[in-house]
Amino acid sequence: MAPKVLESTLVSEDPLSYENENVHTIYDEIASHFSSTRYKPWPVISAFMSSLSTGWVGLDAGTGNGKYLPLPLDHPTDIFTIGLDRSIKLLQIARTAGEFQQTREVVWGDILGHGWRSGIFDYAISIATIHHLATHERRVQAVRRLIESVSPHHGRILIYVWAIEQDELSKRKITADDEAHSDGKGKDVIVPWVLAPQKGAHKNSAEPQVFNRYYHMFAKGELSGLVHDAAGGLDIDVGPPPALDEPLSPKRGVEIIQDDWERSNYYVELKCWAIPELLI
Amino acid sequence: MVRLITHNLLACHFRDVQIELREAEFNPEFLKGFMPKLEWKALVDAARQLGDTTLPLEVPEMLDDEFLKNLHHVLLEIHVEEGVMSCPNCKHDYPILNGIPNMLLAEHEIG
Repeated sequence: MAPKVLESTLVSEDPLSYENENVHTIYDEIASHFSSTRYKPWPVISAFMSSLSTGWVGLDAGTGNGKYLPLPLDHPTDIFTIGLDRSIKLLQIARTAGEFQQTREVVWGDILGHGWRSGIFDYAISIATIHHLATHERRVQAVRRLIESVSPHHGRILIYVWAIEQDELSKRKITADDEAHSDGKGKDVIVPWVLAPQKGAHKNSAEPQVFNRYYHMFAKGELSGLVHDAAGGLDIDVGPPPALDEPLSPKRGVEIIQDDWERSNYYVELKCWAIPELLI
Repeated sequence: MVRLITHNLLACHFRDVQIELREAEFNPEFLKGFMPKLEWKALVDAARQLGDTTLPLEVPEMLDDEFLKNLHHVLLEIHVEEGVMSCPNCKHDYPILNGIPNMLLAEHEIG
């Protein structure tokens, strides 16, 4: 069956109300069904979680059903991840994420909020979350919050978002083939979610409900563009730390370690660095 | 299940709490790695607010097993199921219900 082209959409009202109606309300309605389809951690993310140092504490910004909170599976208690999400229904599931129903640390909040101590986390991940923010400025702000929340000296960040370029296994297409999408701005689309009739409902009476979720599908280079915009606003360099023989005036930076596409997603891995004098 | 590890990362005060104790796996290497982050006084104060007086007022020079076990218990085994966290900076109260703190700010406070 040919992939279905997703309906484009225009964010025509104030972004907070738009997101409330087209993202938050919907996740609260579909939470348990959604959670049952999101259980397999992706390899790049698992590898990232396994590479973190003992004693590290991190933030999962947009934790959803908490599937990354139990990682890494082979040495889970070496690190501690706090899950933040906007959906109380998903958080109630995230609270006992993992095989042994252990209590997880979860917080009901907004990824654009700033209640955490600056630079306190060693790592932050944000998987399939930033693409639900309805304006470019809000998406930049989300990346800015991630950078602010991690250590300026060693903070590591991993961000995943949905890509315009979907792979062959995906059931959806973002544009018809003859549409150019090289402007780097990405596309705003509606992605339907079909909620099957609940168990116990009479077979013939219940109609499946369709929920239309808002997504901003990212274009190639757009995610690293957000990193540049976010860092610029914080007066942080983007690039590798300066060589030791260069003059060392106080400076903060973030290096883009990976910038790639995997299974219909764009992702970036970031590493923060700082020239010490600034940050005693 | 807000634990003191989260509270310390947020820097708020607790009020009107109901707590539950739940065992967690003891990992001394994690604790030693995590300790430099802690606002020690805030942790000790919060622990006392919740009825635990096992932590010393200052970080000891030697991190012996007994100290680490007390720290483990305070950070990871005391779950605040109901209560309020009060932020001295923004003067906002964050309710905790079924162990989940509500950190949503009024729209105008997100900036």
